[in-house]
Amino acid sequence: MTGIEAIGAIGLGAGDAAISRLSLTAPVAPAQIGQAGFSDILASGIRQVEGKVATANEMVQRFALDDSVPLHQVTFALEEARMSVELAMQVRTRLVESYRELMNMQI
Amino acid sequence: MRAMEISRSGMDVEWQRLQVIAQNLANLNTTRTASGEPFRAMRLVSGPRGDFASMISGKASAQQFGGVQVMGMEATGSGFRRVHEPGHPHADAQGFVSYPEIDHAGEMTLMIKTSRTYEANLTAMNIAQQMYSRALELGRGQ
Repeated sequence: MTGIEAIGAIGLGAGDAAISRLSLTAPVAPAQIGQAGFSDILASGIRQVEGKVATANEMVQRFALDDSVPLHQVTFALEEARMSVELAMQVRTRLVESYRELMNMQI
Repeated sequence: MRAMEISRSGMDVEWQRLQVIAQNLANLNTTRTASGEPFRAMRLVSGPRGDFASMISGKASAQQFGGVQVMGMEATGSGFRRVHEPGHPHADAQGFVSYPEIDHAGEMTLMIKTSRTYEANLTAMNIAQQMYSRALELGRGQ
């Protein structure tokens, strides 16, 4: 009885700590982004997408050669790559849209 | 993506747990292993990834939750079942053969539990993926 209470007290006693534990880290401050430059952000994002596609490629190859690789790891890598590419496409669409908007501006 | 990583680590662990259970079931009647003893049922030990002390003290943030990992395997303390089979090549001087005493029902229960846990992780991953996909549609809806 006392043993169970003692364990519960660790989790529940620190109520604020539990909340702060779940709080996400603050987004990157604008100043930091400003230093990196927009093209750098884009380039690093594209490199990440490329890396994820390469990982997915490698996982599929490994699975084809040796099916002891857990299947969910392969599908996870594929899905991760697909979502990264989709995010990149979204960013591109937004960029092109805003570019067109500016080009069509009546002066 | 973090939630999906965590779910994936859970699926990794359950996948390996199923392998251990399959090994136990396959060796129900194995009377001799490399060590010369009958087979002993194994259990997969898993635990949270990351430092336990910092997690319990509440210093770790949600970003540091790394999911779950395999800690190792340990043999269950099950004994051996002695059967009188004088014709068996592994029989001792009295004609008894030691078979592993594996809890068949227990293994089956654990297998169902493993399967359900795997499914739960899969569902969590699907939900995370759905949320991510929905977020990509932000501002696009007409």
